[in-house]
Amino acid sequence: MSALTSVWKKEFRDAIRDKRSVLAAMSYAFFGPMLMAVAFFFLITQLTDQADVEITIEGKENAPQLVEFLGERGVVAKEGDWAKTETPIVLTLPENWQQRIREAEPVEVTLRADWSAQKQQTDIKRVEQAVQAYSSQIAAYRLTLRGVDPRVVQPVQLQKQDLATRGSKAALIMGSVLVFIILSVFWSGMNVAIDISAGERERNSLEFLLSQPLSTWDIVTGKALTATSFSLFGAILSLVLIPIIFAYVPLHEIGMNVNFSVGMMLLMFILLIPLALFATALQLFVSFRAKNFKEAQTYISFLLIIPMAASFGVEFARLKNPILYYLPLTGQHQAFLSLIRGESVNVMGTVISAIATLAAALLLMKYIARMLKSEKIVFGL
Amino acid sequence: MINVDALTKSFKNVQALDSLSFQAKDGEITGLLGPNGAGKTTCLRIIYGLLQSDTGKAEIEGVDANINPIGARRNLGIFPDKFGLYERLTVREQVAYFAGLHGLKGKEQKTAVEKVIEKLDIAELADRRTAGFSQGQRMKVALAQALVHSPKHLILDEPSRGLDVMSTRILRDVLREQRAQGTCILFSSHVMQEVAALCDRVVVMANGKVAAEGTPQELCDMTGEPQLEDAFVKIIGTDEGIAA
Repeated sequence: MSALTSVWKKEFRDAIRDKRSVLAAMSYAFFGPMLMAVAFFFLITQLTDQADVEITIEGKENAPQLVEFLGERGVVAKEGDWAKTETPIVLTLPENWQQRIREAEPVEVTLRADWSAQKQQTDIKRVEQAVQAYSSQIAAYRLTLRGVDPRVVQPVQLQKQDLATRGSKAALIMGSVLVFIILSVFWSGMNVAIDISAGERERNSLEFLLSQPLSTWDIVTGKALTATSFSLFGAILSLVLIPIIFAYVPLHEIGMNVNFSVGMMLLMFILLIPLALFATALQLFVSFRAKNFKEAQTYISFLLIIPMAASFGVEFARLKNPILYYLPLTGQHQAFLSLIRGESVNVMGTVISAIATLAAALLLMKYIARMLKSEKIVFGL
Repeated sequence: MINVDALTKSFKNVQALDSLSFQAKDGEITGLLGPNGAGKTTCLRIIYGLLQSDTGKAEIEGVDANINPIGARRNLGIFPDKFGLYERLTVREQVAYFAGLHGLKGKEQKTAVEKVIEKLDIAELADRRTAGFSQGQRMKVALAQALVHSPKHLILDEPSRGLDVMSTRILRDVLREQRAQGTCILFSSHVMQEVAALCDRVVVMANGKVAAEGTPQELCDMTGEPQLEDAFVKIIGTDEGIAA
C-alpha cells in the first residue's frame, strides 16, 4: 500500500509539472464545449430563422390580392436572379384569375419547384400552405355569402398536439453534448497515461522502476490512479463549463429548456469515475506495449475510435437494445440520456454497468501487471 | 552474499548463459568482466529478478530471485544498465521516491536522503530538476538512488561508461567506501583498467560461462602474463570487444 501511494504521489507530481499533459487535459474540456456552443448558436439561428421566402411570381398583376396575402405570410416576389445551384421556385398566376374568381370557378395556379431539394423543402411548404390558406379563406367567404356555415366543409378537424416536451427536444441536441462529456474521460488523461508508460520506457527509467521491491500491481495501480485523476479533472471541467457556456446559447428560442442541476452533475460525475479508470487502463495497456511516446500516440488514436464509435453510434443510430444499459460505456451513456431527458434512470442497469466497467478496468490492470513481469514485453525480446 | 548457481538462460536460439556459477562475498568488490555479449547484463538482470533463469538460481542472502524477486530486491541496491532520470523531479524528490519504494517513510526517509546526498557530495544539485544534467551528474543521482536505503548488496551494470576521469574517481571512492562498510559489491565491466584498479576478485565471462575466476594477480599468474589485459585475452582466447 505504501509503495502504491509512493508511486501515485510521484507520478502525480511528475505529471502536473508536465505542461503538455496539463494543457491536454484542460484544452479538451475548455475548447470542446466552446466549439459546441458556437455550433449550436448557428444551428439555432438557422432553425428560428423566419426570413421571407423569396420566389418568382409570374403574372403578379393578375391577382394583386393573392400577392398581398402571400406577402403577409412571408412569401414575397424575388428581386434578383436565382443562384445557379438552386432550382427556382416559380408560382404562376393565370391571366383569367379575376374572371374565374368572380364566376366562382376553380383557378389553376401552378407551382414549379424541385420537391426533392432538401434545402428548399420548408420554403416550398410555406408557399403551398400560404396558397392553401388563401383558398380556404375565399371558400369561407363564398359559403358565408350563400348562407352556409363554413364549418360544414370541415367535418374533421385534425388537432396536432406536439408531444415533444421541452426536455426531450433538448435531449436531441444534448445527446451530442453527452457524448462529449463521456469522451472527456478518454481525452483528458490520455497524455499522462502515455507519458507514464511509453514515456517511462522511452526515458529508460522503466527497467530501474521494475527492479524495485514492489509488485507490478502497485506500479500499475499507482500509475492508473494518476492518469485517472487527470481524466476526472477533465470531466469535472467539462461538467462545470458546459452549463456555464450553454447559458449563453439561446436554447429557449427553439423551445429548449436545459436544466443542469447540481445533483444531476454530481451523479454524472460519480458515473464517470469507473469509466475514467477503464479508459486509463485501456490506454496504459496499449501504451505499455509501445516502444516510445510517438508509437503509443498512434495506437491510442486508433483506440479512441472505439468510444467515439460506440457513443456516437448509439446516439445517432438511435439504437435501442436493453443490453446497452448494462455494458461499460453504453451503460453510462444511457444513464446520462435518461438524466438529461428528466426520465427515471434504470437504476439496476446503471449499477450493473458501473460494476462491469470497474471489473473490466481492474481485470485489464491485472493483465498489465502480469505483462510487466514478462521479459518479452519489458525488454522487447 | 550473492550466490549464482548454475544459471542457464536462452533467448530463442541464443544461449545467453550456460550454467554460470560464481559468488560475490560481503566486504569485497567482485568484477564481472567479459566482452560485449558475454551475458553480463543478462546475469545481473536475473539477480535482480527482472529475468527468470531457465535453470539454476541466483540467491541474495539466501533469497532466490526467481522465486521471490521482491524479497531479493529488498537487499539490493541497483545501478542498472539504463538509468533514465525523471527530468521533471528534483534530485531530492527522485532519491526520496526510491527510498519510499524501499519502505522508508517520514523522518527516516528524510535522514536517509540527506545522508546519501552528503555522501555523494551533491548538495548543490539536490534541489535542481535533473533535466540537462551532465553524464557525471546523472551517474551520481543514479548512484544515490541505488544507495539511499543502505543496501547490503550493490549491483552495478557498467557504471563507468561515459564518465570522465573525475567522475570515475568519485565512483571508485564511493565503491571503496561501501566495501569498507561490509557491502557486497558486484559490478560488470569490459574496461580492464577499472577492474584492475578496483576489484578484489574477478569473474571472467565468455559465452555465458565462467572462463576464469580469481584475484587480478591470480589471473595474471595463471596465464603467465604480467598485465591483466593480456591475461584476459589469453583466457577468453580473443581480444574482441575489450576496451583497454
